[in-house]
Amino acid sequence: MVTSGIVLDLVERVGGAVAGSLVEVPAAATDADLIGRWCERAGHRLVAVEDGVARIRRGPFPDDAAVLASVPAERRPGARLWIYTNFDCNLACDYCCAKSSPKAERKAIGPELIERLVAEGADHGVTEVFLTGGEPFLLLDLDRIVHACVERAPTTLLTNGMLFRGRRLDMLKAMPREGLALQISLDSATPGLHDRHRGAGSWQRALDGIRTAVGEGFRVRVAATVAAGESGADEARAFHALLDEVGIDRDDQVIRPIAQRGFAEDGVALTVESLIPEVTVTADGVWWHPVAAEHEDQLVTRDLFPLGAAIEQVRRRFAEYRRESDTAAQRFTCA
Amino acid sequence: MDRPLLVGAVAYTPNVVPIWEGIRDYFAGGPAEMDFVLFSNYGRQVDALIDGTIDVAWNTNLAWVRTVLQTQGKCQALAMRDTDLKFRTVFAARAGSGFTGLADLRGRRVALGSRDSAQAAILPVQYLREAGLDDEDVELVRLDSDIGKHGDTGRSELDAIRVLLDEDADAVALGINTWDAIGADELMGDALEAFWTSPAYCHCNFTALDSLPPERYGLWVEQLLAMSWDEPEHRRIMELEGLERAWAKPDLARYASLFKAVEDQGISARW
Ligand code: SF4
Repeated sequence: MVTSGIVLDLVERVGGAVAGSLVEVPAAATDADLIGRWCERAGHRLVAVEDGVARIRRGPFPDDAAVLASVPAERRPGARLWIYTNFDCNLACDYCCAKSSPKAERKAIGPELIERLVAEGADHGVTEVFLTGGEPFLLLDLDRIVHACVERAPTTLLTNGMLFRGRRLDMLKAMPREGLALQISLDSATPGLHDRHRGAGSWQRALDGIRTAVGEGFRVRVAATVAAGESGADEARAFHALLDEVGIDRDDQVIRPIAQRGFAEDGVALTVESLIPEVTVTADGVWWHPVAAEHEDQLVTRDLFPLGAAIEQVRRRFAEYRRESDTAAQRFTCA
Repeated sequence: MDRPLLVGAVAYTPNVVPIWEGIRDYFAGGPAEMDFVLFSNYGRQVDALIDGTIDVAWNTNLAWVRTVLQTQGKCQALAMRDTDLKFRTVFAARAGSGFTGLADLRGRRVALGSRDSAQAAILPVQYLREAGLDDEDVELVRLDSDIGKHGDTGRSELDAIRVLLDEDADAVALGINTWDAIGADELMGDALEAFWTSPAYCHCNFTALDSLPPERYGLWVEQLLAMSWDEPEHRRIMELEGLERAWAKPDLARYASLFKAVEDQGISARW
């Protein structure tokens, strides 16, 4: 009978505490089960019962659906599906987050699996597909892949834009204009910066590629990867002037920082907890976010199928991290 | 535009700050903006309502009764929680007591919460009297641990249960909210059992003087009632404030038992 007294202590100490705070209540290890059941019932979270103390996070906590609803629909985990079509590349950029190069193993997923991935993804809330690599245009069945994706959802194809010749140009021409955008990287308005990271002559060829794609009637988004300090106002102005002249919409001119992944060493630190996840598939598994594909700490599962299960898992984990960080943010001090 | 409607509330838990900031944010930018003031006790809050410092008071049932008595009825209840419409008092004893009704408490000790708590002191005494038990028939053990807050903190009721579990009382009277909070049926079934539950009565309400014109509170009440449990932002506030699903219109008839108890027990209209 005396053990029930712990419930009264819980109601008084936890009930009277600030929502989100961590409350300590003296408790015996033998009470752990009762405490757990009380927390469950009252909407609080039992963190641990150890050394004579129960540590409890005071609720209420938003449920997964509420957490997900707080993120804009297009950024909601599971809305975007990234697919690494392959890992090899004609370039070997020093900051490549996929560590791609001509020597990298191809690790292609192949059109059959990609068809299944986008079909399953669409059934589980995917509203946008991104195809990336490596360099997708190294694959000679890329047009089939692109068609399969565009059939299911608006698709963005990331490419360095340097391979639009011969058979690959024919492949490009055969791709749908509706529902497809090409995203091509161009780091600067003049060759210097771009070529420093990506190799001599690469700037000119990328620009030629952009012109080709625009000329073929594709929507082209140009992404610049710049490190802090190198994106001065002059550089940005010149960059925009060039792209305006090529015919790229202002909304499609994107400047982004280098991520601290792959070969880049002095970028912004990204962790599972700090990234809004964007479900990413490679031949080897499903990952939390495209900038960290193939990094073990960001692995969701080795199983590509069922993809719906992986998407659900990512949503659940995201909601969990969000709740944690929201409660952390509530631990403010009055200075 | 009018100055924001000023609502008073008593700070009975640190969560009143997130609750009222949340409610204020909910109204912000709309046609019925509001702000809030926190009081340390209901006496001070009702004084502030009557002297016009605040427009609306988030009152307990006793604070409502006292406002009515002090203003000769020149006040109005604007809205309440769904849970306020069906508040009850529970009489409980140690498991195996064999009590089947209030009459079994003759000659027993009954632990009550703070003497200004309607649910855990004033109404329980009334229920005992209605069961034919006067002051000399039962020994009352009063735990006045949250006086001034009308039992809102629940602390005096928890203290009363401790007294019961320590066998210094034979029964205890509590609000249904505290009974639910301890999960008594589910978690304390081997220690406690309820043997009598009161009819439903009303608990808190938003009180205004009847001189507050409808154009000052109409839209505010309308918008309050529109707060949705299905909106995550709203739900957090509603959960913290102890709603089940929605704000509701008041049912004044359900304050009758407390008016009678206050009169019968000679409880003063002021503090
Ligand atoms: S950044 Fe792009 S173009 Fe450069 S190596 Fe990586 S995949 Fe290839």
